[in-house]
Amino acid sequence: MGYQDDAAAKSDVDRRSFLGSLGWLGVSISGLIAVVGNLLYLKPTVSYGPASRIVAGKPADFTVGAREVFENAQFALVREQDGFAAISLVCTHLRCTVRTSEAGFECPCHGSQYDRNGSITGGPAPEPLDWYKVGITPNGELEIDKTVKVSQGTYFNI
Amino acid sequence: MDLKISAVKTYLNDVFRSIFRYGKMPRDAEGQSFAVFNNLFLHIHPVKVTRHSLKPTYTFGLGLISAVLFLVLIFTGVWLMFYYIPTVDEAYNRMLDLRSSTNFGFVLRNVHKWAAEAMVVFVILHMARVFFTGAYKPPREFNWVVGVFLLLLTFGLSFTGYLLPWDQLAFWAITVGTSIAGYVPVMGEDIRSFLLGGDIVGQEALIRFYVLHVVILPGLMLVLLGVHFWRIRKDGGLAHPSENEDASAGGGE
Repeated sequence: MGYQDDAAAKSDVDRRSFLGSLGWLGVSISGLIAVVGNLLYLKPTVSYGPASRIVAGKPADFTVGAREVFENAQFALVREQDGFAAISLVCTHLRCTVRTSEAGFECPCHGSQYDRNGSITGGPAPEPLDWYKVGITPNGELEIDKTVKVSQGTYFNI
Repeated sequence: MDLKISAVKTYLNDVFRSIFRYGKMPRDAEGQSFAVFNNLFLHIHPVKVTRHSLKPTYTFGLGLISAVLFLVLIFTGVWLMFYYIPTVDEAYNRMLDLRSSTNFGFVLRNVHKWAAEAMVVFVILHMARVFFTGAYKPPREFNWVVGVFLLLLTFGLSFTGYLLPWDQLAFWAITVGTSIAGYVPVMGEDIRSFLLGGDIVGQEALIRFYVLHVVILPGLMLVLLGVHFWRIRKDGGLAHPSENEDASAGGGE
C-alpha cells in the first residue's frame, strides 16, 4: 500500500459521497414503498357491484327447452333434458351484452355469434360464453353463482 | 392640499411600480424586451423571433390553438362541476339539467364538448406540423417526447370525460374501451380493474373516471404544458430552415 493508492481510494468514495448515496438509497426505498402503497390503496378489497349470486325462482317455473333471460344479472337460464344451466350474456370480445337469437346468441356491437351452448359460430369473439354454476337454495329455489364458472355442458340436475 | 394630492400620487405610483417595474411599455427596443421579460404573463413570448415564425402559415398557430382550447376546457369544465354530481343516480339527470334547467348550462356543456373534440383534432394537426417542418429533430427531440405524452393525456381526458354523462353511449363506449385495455399482455386485467375499480362499469368506475378527468389528468397536463412551453424557448424557439446552416450557434437565449 503506497501513498498514491491511498489517495486513489480516498477520491473514489469519500465520506460525503458515501453518505450521499446512503441518503439516496433511503429516499429510493421509501419512494418505492410509497408507490406500492398507493397502488394497493387503489385496488379495492371489497366489490361494490351488483350481487354475484342470484336467486332465479323455483325449478318448476321453467319448462324443458326454456331459455329465460335475466337482463340485469346478464345471464340466460336454460333448461334442457339434462337439467339447468346459466349461460353468460357478456360477449367475450369486448363485454357487450349479447341477445338471444334463433341459432343461439349474437352480439349487437361487433357481430360475434354463438350457438345455443355459447360456442363461437362467427365474429371476433375469442372464447365461448361462460357457464355459471347453478345450485339450489335450502328452500328449493335455483341459485346462480356468477363467481364460479363451470365447463360448457355441465347441467345441474335436481 | 397640493401636498396631499402629490403624496397620494407618489403612493399610487409606488404601487404601480411595485407591480410593473418598467412602468408603461417603453418605446425603445431594449426597454420593451425587459418589460416583456419581467412580466409573468408576457414572458412566454420570446424577446426576439426569427423571420420564419412571423409567417402565420408556418405553424398555423396550431399549438397555440390547442393550448387556448385547453384553457377554455378548464374554464367551462370548472363551471360544469358546480352542477354535476358523479353518482349513477344523479349524473345523467344533472347532465339533462345542465341542458334544460340551468341558465346558459347548455352553452357551457356544448362549448366543453366541442372544445374537447377540437382539441384532439388540433393537437394531432400540431403534431403533424411539427413533423412536416422537421421540428422534432435535435435539439428539440425531448420536446417531441413531451408532446407525445401531452397527446396521450389529451386522449386520456377525452376518454375519461366520455363516461361522465352516464348515458347509453357513454356506458357502452367505456365498457368496450376498458375491455380493449384488458387485452394488454400480462397486466391487461389489472389496468382494467384499476380503471373501473371493479369488474363492471358502475359507481366505482364513474368516480374514478371523474377524479382522473377533473384532477389527475389536468394536473399532469398543466405540468407538462409548462415544460413544453419552456422547452420551446430553451431549444431555440421555432424550428426554421436556416437552422442547419448556423447549427453551431446552438439553442437558448
